[in-house]
Amino acid sequence: MEIIKLTVNGKEYQVIVKPHDTLSKVLREKIHLTGTKVGCEQASCGACTVFVDGKAVQSCITPAMRVAGSNITTIEGVADQNKLHKLQDKFVEKGAVQCGYCTPGMIMTSLNFLEENPSPTTDEIKEAISGNLCRCTGYVKIIEAVEEYVKEENNLHPPIGHLPKEDDYKFKMVGKGHPYIEAKKKVQGTADYADDIQTKNALFTKFVRSTHAHAIINSVDKSKAEEMPGVRAVITGEELPVKFGVLPISQDERAMAIRKTRYIGEIVVAIAADTEEIATEACKLIEIDYSPIRPFFDMKEACDDVGEDEQIHSHCKFNNNIHKKAELRFGDQQDGLSKADHKIKVDFDFQGINHGFTEPHAATASWDENGLTIITATQVPHYLHRYLAKVLEVPMNRVRVIKPTIGGGFGGKSDPFPHEMIIAHLSRILGQPVKMRFNREEVFLTNHGRHPTTMSMEMGISNEGKFDVLDADIIIDGGAYGSFGVVTSYYNGVLLQAPYKIDNFGFRTRRVYTNKPQCGAMRGHGAVNSRYAVETIIDRLAVEIDMDPCEMRLKNFLDEKSMTVGQYRITSNGSVESLKAVMERSQWADKFKKLPEGHGIGVACGFFISGSALPIHWNQYPQSVVHLKVDLDGRVLVTSGASDIGQGSDTMLAIIVAEVLGLSLENIFVVAADTTLTPIDLGSYSSRVTFMAGNAAKQAAENLKEKILDAVTAVNEVDKAELNFQNEKVFTNDGEIDLTWVEAIENATRKVGALNTSGSYNSPKLGGDFKGAGAGLSPSYSFGAVITEVKVDTETGHVKVVNIWGAHDAGKAINPLAVEGQLQGSWHMGLGQAVSEQMKYRDGLLVNANFVDYKIPTSKDTPPIDTSIIETIDPEGPFGAKECGEGAIHPVIPAVANAIYDAVGVRVTSLPINSEEVLKQLKVKKVESLSSS
Amino acid sequence: MTIEKTYLIPTSVNEAIEMAKANIGSFKYLAGGTDVMVNRFQGNEESPCLIDISKIKELKGITKNDGYLRIGALEILEELKFNKDIKTEFPMLIEAALTVGAPLLRKTATIGGNVLCENRCLFYNQSEWWREAVGYCLKCDGDICIATQGKNACFSELVSDTAPALIAMDAEVEILDVDGTKRVQLEAIYTGDGVKPRNLSETAILTAIYLPLNREFKTDFHKLRERESLEFTSLTSAVAIDAAGKLKIALSGVDPKAVVVEGTISDEKAGLIKKAIKGGRAVDNDMYSRKYRREMISVYLNRSFVKLGIE
Repeated sequence: MEIIKLTVNGKEYQVIVKPHDTLSKVLREKIHLTGTKVGCEQASCGACTVFVDGKAVQSCITPAMRVAGSNITTIEGVADQNKLHKLQDKFVEKGAVQCGYCTPGMIMTSLNFLEENPSPTTDEIKEAISGNLCRCTGYVKIIEAVEEYVKEENNLHPPIGHLPKEDDYKFKMVGKGHPYIEAKKKVQGTADYADDIQTKNALFTKFVRSTHAHAIINSVDKSKAEEMPGVRAVITGEELPVKFGVLPISQDERAMAIRKTRYIGEIVVAIAADTEEIATEACKLIEIDYSPIRPFFDMKEACDDVGEDEQIHSHCKFNNNIHKKAELRFGDQQDGLSKADHKIKVDFDFQGINHGFTEPHAATASWDENGLTIITATQVPHYLHRYLAKVLEVPMNRVRVIKPTIGGGFGGKSDPFPHEMIIAHLSRILGQPVKMRFNREEVFLTNHGRHPTTMSMEMGISNEGKFDVLDADIIIDGGAYGSFGVVTSYYNGVLLQAPYKIDNFGFRTRRVYTNKPQCGAMRGHGAVNSRYAVETIIDRLAVEIDMDPCEMRLKNFLDEKSMTVGQYRITSNGSVESLKAVMERSQWADKFKKLPEGHGIGVACGFFISGSALPIHWNQYPQSVVHLKVDLDGRVLVTSGASDIGQGSDTMLAIIVAEVLGLSLENIFVVAADTTLTPIDLGSYSSRVTFMAGNAAKQAAENLKEKILDAVTAVNEVDKAELNFQNEKVFTNDGEIDLTWVEAIENATRKVGALNTSGSYNSPKLGGDFKGAGAGLSPSYSFGAVITEVKVDTETGHVKVVNIWGAHDAGKAINPLAVEGQLQGSWHMGLGQAVSEQMKYRDGLLVNANFVDYKIPTSKDTPPIDTSIIETIDPEGPFGAKECGEGAIHPVIPAVANAIYDAVGVRVTSLPINSEEVLKQLKVKKVESLSSS
Repeated sequence: MTIEKTYLIPTSVNEAIEMAKANIGSFKYLAGGTDVMVNRFQGNEESPCLIDISKIKELKGITKNDGYLRIGALEILEELKFNKDIKTEFPMLIEAALTVGAPLLRKTATIGGNVLCENRCLFYNQSEWWREAVGYCLKCDGDICIATQGKNACFSELVSDTAPALIAMDAEVEILDVDGTKRVQLEAIYTGDGVKPRNLSETAILTAIYLPLNREFKTDFHKLRERESLEFTSLTSAVAIDAAGKLKIALSGVDPKAVVVEGTISDEKAGLIKKAIKGGRAVDNDMYSRKYRREMISVYLNRSFVKLGIE
């Protein structure tokens, strides 16, 4: 132990450190400044950036001893007391902050760079922040914020793309860009993420993970670990035998492996100790004896019959590893195929990808007279609530789940997880709070990302370009457990029945178990790969009949207020407007087929659900409930179970309530995602929150408004319709009644106390009555289009995406700033899957479980993104709103592939589209052209 | 049971060497630390004693010296671009330095550290647990090479981006050790053995890099990487020709050592390319395949020859 002196943000500290402690550890754990985030621990994400004597360093690799005596500035020291630095202001104002986890590092890096280069170009800004990964924003708004700060201008720049027209006369809050209500906290580094919450006397848990893909666990020798001083408990799976899984039909997972292990990385032993270091050392003392059994890594092989005791799960219906078979057929595909004038069948192969959120999972569990409280990085407090109760075998009233600030999710925090069960149990047996945090490798091993997929797809059209028939045969690689996989199986197929009208449509999906980390839901759930297949086949068919691919799509879009072949009810539909917007903004007509060799442009479209119409757990409870409470101070307390994971749902709720009641956001206070304090909401997945929780909030606010109207009309001779709620006032146009908001509340609460109202949302009954009819049903669907422009190096095969134009029908943008951010983030994430991201395995072992080898596009890899929000005012969405968080990812990936074809005439049928594959196809093309000439 | 950990901060090279001598077998020098600290996080570097040489003033500074430009080993990668002499005589060094990692990293990383950075392999640069799961490789005391599934040699790659640029321009390095100072061609320090990729003794310190002045180098540089930032190299190719018509090719990312091919501008280019490809023992231990990386050697070298007007 050494004592070092540090001056941090102007304050002197004497800190006891271990000789090899890193600066990030000292700042976070000794000085308790947790604004400095740790996302990778390997200097590959930039979240931990601080200044040492004015120079930016990555504190996760800076030895604390090196900086003894130095002046350190962390994000907490950037603001001048409570006055934000102007760059922080810009980050807030421009919506550069979503989940906020990369924000401290991003601001520190930018500030340091701007000191060296006060008037940088856009490219120089991109270069400067290229060591700071952001998964939410696609860097667009971050760069805008830095640029605007540099220009010292305010709101003088034209917004990018189409912004919806502001309905000044109609809405005061809805439709105007609002920074997130918590954005200021995030730029100051004071927002608490799961690992930032420091609980007194907490023990730390580490996990021993299987080194075998498929093996019988003969014995676990815990004795040496148990003897180690500071070790409090060493537990194995037998202590938590109850199975769970996010879907009631896939209860196939346990907190820890029992009897056998099913993937390399599965938790076999958990150790709680006084410190993280002791727990880590103790893990090394565990000895496990395994007998390996035949592993399955290949999804096709997993469809075959297997020998006795070789099944990954014995509950599979037949003697193979098929977890789920989903098949639906509409119209007559055979007839459609035989009558089609042109048809094309293509085989595709897609690698799995990971969500890549910047905040690793972390959680703290503790027990008291109220039972368990767990603070955890989750998108689904409600499901976790249910499954903690199930696995711990306690009533639900003994479990409280609290979601703190979350550093991104994208589906990767939408399952109940083993680590949550384990620390809850450890805390129960030890009578002390227990904490855990994953490192980046563990995040990758936990996965639940996009399924690796192989599929064969055939599509037929008429000479006029009318889509006649679509057939898909799909296998998805689920990994070792179920997760959302049954839903994924259906989504791969059913989400092909729009945005085009196709009368003869069918698919079969088989989801298989393999001995790899499990796959689940990830942004654009289920349909991303199959959308790639359809949209690239459409592009081929357009070539075959020599029709412009945009024109062909325009001919085939479903109408608004129509029904798909599988009985999805289409309400509003902005497909045509979206496609036309990107055609216009990209100057499609001037570029398509007209760019020089190696340079091309491509298009694709897509659609997605605005929440699943059917709940995962069948019951009559509303899918979202929002409560409001207001009394003397006039501030409306909004409580909702919805989980803000960086997408801005807390702000969305506040805007909706403020709109209905004529308030500013100052008079709204949101408490969300605490299963004891807030009413149930099913969580942040399937793009449901704005539609469902938004509707519930709107109804709750209208109910509150009604109570105030009742109170006003009880003492005044006035018709309710004459009363306006605006600008924090309740008034009639003639001025007879002119109450401030607080006066109106005083009137209404007199003698009765606080006003409480509730609003809820339940989807209307939709869909057909056949088996599987519920899959993909949604009260509303979003639509969109993307055009990308690429340059292909014909000697290396390298693809550079140089432009993205995207348009998305979000119904109504309740918060356009957030909607743009969601869209840009989706397109950026799609870009990653298109050209660089993959989970690479060798014999079931993930070889790139880090941010160096798992290649999320940096700011330099991200082209300008032109964003158009299309508004179609959905009849049932709150103020007409639909989803915007997921659907946008669908079209961007095939748009890249189609642009590559326009550039160099090759088709890539696998993802990611790596240079090697492009080069290979270029050679094939060359050989073909030689042999044909 | 646990060896006491220490962190030593010498202020002179002699002090550093003394500290090293006192900790033989259990220490690691740390300059910028951007490579060592990450390897430590993964458990690939576990020395109980760290000797932080980053505060030694004599290891800093860029001076002209006897027909050479002497670059102190602690010069920061991101700052090389500010030096006039490097800018005018050896711009390829700046180009190479600016492809290392990301700007943030380069503000800490040193040139000495970059030429000495540890060899990498997809099957080695992993956590302790991971390496246990795969069955330890030669580089971490295992019996076979995992990447090649059985070879008895380690093919972890030299991933320095500045080394090829420096070597192509005939750089020498100054090495200080217990027995004094020596100067050798940079390429001579790389052994080609991935397990022990450099022939420097444990106590040796690379104190400076020397680049020959007035050779009027014309150069071309390429780095193969999937992203434009945050990447180790999968193939770095540097070509330099001087006023006398000497041509030198240096590659990293395709062999445990730098691949060097020397010739003249009038040599047949296909032959040079063949030599370069043959010189690299690339294996499938990278996100790009071995085949592709070898193919790119030819693409990059041809491009360089065209750019240098010597095709």
